[in-house]
Amino acid sequence: MTGAVEIRGVSKSFGETKAVIDLDLDVPTGSLCGFLGPNGAGKSTTIRMLMSIIHADEGSVQVLGTSALKAKDRIGYLPEERGVYRKMKVGGFVEYIGKLKGVRGSVLRKRINEWLERVELPEIRNRRCEELSKGMQQKVQFLAAIIHEPELIILDEPFSGLDPVNARVIGRIIDELHQQGRTILFSTHVLPQAEKICDRIVMIDQGMKVLDGTVCSIQEQFDPRVIRVEPVDSNCNLSRISGTTLIENTNKDTHLLMRLNDNIDATEVLKQIVQTTPVRGIEIVKPTLDEVFIEQVARSRGQEAALQVREEMFHA
Amino acid sequence: MPKTLVVAWREFRHTAMTKAFLIGAIIMPLLMMGLFIVVMPLMMEANTTPMTGTVAIIAPLDVLEEFQTRISSNENPNAEIIDQLPDIVAQDPIASAMLNQTRKNETNIVLKSAKLSEIETLKEDVRIGDMAALIVVPEVLLSDQASRSDERLELFIPSSFSPNHTDLLSSAIAKSVVDVRLHRLGHDPSEMHAMVKRPRITATRLANNGGEKADNEVARRIIPMAFMMLLWIATFTSGNYLLTTTIEEKGNKVMEVLLSAVSPLQLLGGKILGQAGVSLIMLLMYGGAAMAGLVTFALLDLIPVSYLLYLIAYFTMAYFMIASIMAAVGSAVTELRDAQSLIGPIMIILIIPLALWPILSEHPNALVATISSFTPPLIPFVMILRITASTETIAAWQIILSMVIGFAAVLGMIWGCARVFRIGVLMQGKPPSFLQLIRWIRQG
Repeated sequence: MTGAVEIRGVSKSFGETKAVIDLDLDVPTGSLCGFLGPNGAGKSTTIRMLMSIIHADEGSVQVLGTSALKAKDRIGYLPEERGVYRKMKVGGFVEYIGKLKGVRGSVLRKRINEWLERVELPEIRNRRCEELSKGMQQKVQFLAAIIHEPELIILDEPFSGLDPVNARVIGRIIDELHQQGRTILFSTHVLPQAEKICDRIVMIDQGMKVLDGTVCSIQEQFDPRVIRVEPVDSNCNLSRISGTTLIENTNKDTHLLMRLNDNIDATEVLKQIVQTTPVRGIEIVKPTLDEVFIEQVARSRGQEAALQVREEMFHA
Repeated sequence: MPKTLVVAWREFRHTAMTKAFLIGAIIMPLLMMGLFIVVMPLMMEANTTPMTGTVAIIAPLDVLEEFQTRISSNENPNAEIIDQLPDIVAQDPIASAMLNQTRKNETNIVLKSAKLSEIETLKEDVRIGDMAALIVVPEVLLSDQASRSDERLELFIPSSFSPNHTDLLSSAIAKSVVDVRLHRLGHDPSEMHAMVKRPRITATRLANNGGEKADNEVARRIIPMAFMMLLWIATFTSGNYLLTTTIEEKGNKVMEVLLSAVSPLQLLGGKILGQAGVSLIMLLMYGGAAMAGLVTFALLDLIPVSYLLYLIAYFTMAYFMIASIMAAVGSAVTELRDAQSLIGPIMIILIIPLALWPILSEHPNALVATISSFTPPLIPFVMILRITASTETIAAWQIILSMVIGFAAVLGMIWGCARVFRIGVLMQGKPPSFLQLIRWIRQG
């Protein structure tokens, strides 16, 4: 089956800055693929090349089985930097973008009304964009990205700036579009978001791909270093277990988190814990995408870079 | 509908079908025309209220009688000047209507002869408004020594006295004094005035092809300026809209959404086409209003059809030149004030035809006019000025060459603009320098 996106050996520089370096990327048709990485990793540049807004210096970009330029009308795109015509009415703005994407007449107008209902904004069609709140504007921009029912939807940070209620509305629609078989490429630097909704992950850092695969396969690639224990006796002392460090539990839960020290076998530690105290549950915790990414950075660029990335992600 | 046309329609609709455009570009010119045609004459009529009151005059009796006669005749104080006006003004229905209004100087005043000893009392009466004016005519001004005397006629009026009425009294008393002098020397003043009245002149230009054409000095100066200004207003207004809408799209971050649907060239083409419609409306509005005025006043023969054809050709050339410059600059900056530094040098060049208008219209075949006729982006403005100003037909080779160079320059400028636009629309932050823009054109 042809992938929705096939990028081979793509590089792009802006002056002296290399934004994307020899990137290979495949997004299978029908997948919900997270395109992840910290700020400045090259995500937006790659997406702009997919939209044929800018062109690669080297390599080939195929989208929906054809060139990116030819596939333009079959792609929906919500850019990271949101924009509307401030003086235009909402209906007029979405209609304009829809027309540019090749949808016409009554079909387009009917779709606009339906979608405004679905995003819970049926009353704003005749309001100027400048009169809307930031969250409403984002919903309108989201509609403009999908109004032509594209086969591939590229969403660059779709939840940034949205309150939890609106984020849930958009999240539900993204899920529905995915269920309908549309391919979704979801770019974000907030990795837990991607972990929740994506079935596939591509991570890039400094213009290069560092990870690519399903969420599970990626997590399996990384040695789990945390054990989650729920002891029957909440006052039991597990600090005696050798080769582990107790992690402070800030959630006030009944379970304990224990980090394995380097070169310690997790199976041995599990045995020790069970022998020490009766437990309701015990498991090796899968690494989060944050941890996976930081670990990957540590492997490729060293501990200092990983610490810096951890700091950036913590503050993001 | 092709995407370019979708963009063009939005650009046109959101510029020309707005209240601001309707008010600024259509209603305002119509109001101005209405002001000149209807309101101004009414205001002038309202202004000519008859002068009333008592005017004291300290003068010999014959001067008093002459003054009485003149004031009673309601003669316009500027009648001599009006009589010398060129035909194009005198025959203009609007102007003549206005002049006829000014000819009417009805008065309802009483003249009172006074003595020099009463002057201070009379001045006080004038000051407090009991008397309309006081005129003092020294005897020496009526003698043959008048030209060597430093004495002057004196007119005392209240501080609120109308300037029109001041002119009326000044003119009437000065003419009365001259007429009395002539009488005293034994001449008939009306005969003398008829003798010194300058005859009118009709100038006829004899063309090399044997044709004859009456020279119309005023038309020869005004029409070229009007044509050039028409081009200037139509192209620069829409060019300015193009600049601001492009900056707005960049500033609103909507540019990336647009570029995800259309190519930069489609976007640029649509924007330029849309604003071309706006520019055309401006041309039709202002040009049409002027033509309507000429038709109304039966002066249409001042504008040959060939002028209109040249106007269309050079308007097309001028619009695409200005539009490509404005679109390129608009794409390169994110704020209007940044655009000023880039447009400044271009404006200095484009202002040349305006600055040289008097020279170019006086000497349309001079070397400077010929050279600037082949220099983009001056070509359309200079050529329309030369064609409409020249009393001789501009050489065909010059018109053809200006068209060839001009439209070649249009293609080159659009090409350069497209290269700047493609890079500029995605740029944010510090605006590029003029040299960087040139580098973008080279790099594409």
